[in-house]
Amino acid sequence: MALWKLARAAEIPPGQTRFVWAGEAAVLLVNYRGAIYALSGICPHRNNPLEGAVLWEHLVDCPYHHFQYDVRTGENHFPKNVYPEDMPQLEQQVRPLRSYRVEVKEGDVWVDLG
Amino acid sequence: MAKVARQVVEQAGIDVNVLLDKLLRAAGAEFTTFYYYTILRVNSIGFDGEGIKEIIEDARIEDRNHFEALTPRIYELGGALPRDIRQFADIAGCPDAYLPADPRNMSAMLAVLVEAERCAVRTYTDICNMTFGKDHRTYDLALAILHEEIEHEAWFSEYLSEGPSGHFRRGSPGTSPYVRRFMSAEIG
Repeated sequence: MALWKLARAAEIPPGQTRFVWAGEAAVLLVNYRGAIYALSGICPHRNNPLEGAVLWEHLVDCPYHHFQYDVRTGENHFPKNVYPEDMPQLEQQVRPLRSYRVEVKEGDVWVDLG
Repeated sequence: MAKVARQVVEQAGIDVNVLLDKLLRAAGAEFTTFYYYTILRVNSIGFDGEGIKEIIEDARIEDRNHFEALTPRIYELGGALPRDIRQFADIAGCPDAYLPADPRNMSAMLAVLVEAERCAVRTYTDICNMTFGKDHRTYDLALAILHEEIEHEAWFSEYLSEGPSGHFRRGSPGTSPYVRRFMSAEIG
């Protein structure tokens, strides 16, 4: 277990995201309805950073190609929901974002990067 | 390139290279969507499909119009389309709108269409937010495209019974009522 203090909770208002680096790991912090989530900060589609990603309800939206991920699980929502099942080669594009365990202690956001 | 046109945007505080990246991605998405919508329209047949064929055609032609309207602005600002069309497709700002595995499944077809339009709405909202009050010409263009993308989304959404949009326009497909004033050639 490697806990990293990555932000103050107050720096991430509800509905907002914050892109941070923890050493060489890019992390996206998200406040969805008051709960802080931590996800890999690199979109697995084309390895673009998720800096500036926008939250639409529970979905975080990659600013490069608008791939969307469920902040609660890291699973791809769009375009996985419309990619045809007879084109399995596309599955590589819609891999999930890795999600990390978060603890908020005394206003600090701690993330377990494993 | 329009030298002063770029300078005034820079002096307004916009990173023109970032803006150009967004415009190129948007143009790429329009171009690829035009291609994929061609396949969707061709496959929109049968009792269910014929009903949405004309709307797909409208969105298809208007997306092509968006590409044509965006391109001059990219060059005005000092940008350029990639020389290799494969690169252009790769940077497209929205996922490819593939034909569903069962092309006769019109619900699946509509899901592809409405998600593509929602991606476009987010794309142009982002460009409008970036340019509002700073780059008047790009803002005006992006807003015009946004109007049409929102109407496309609403039409496809209505077919999925997600609720009425309150607007209606039909005539000949692809007339681009908002974007046509940015077009240098005949449209449709």
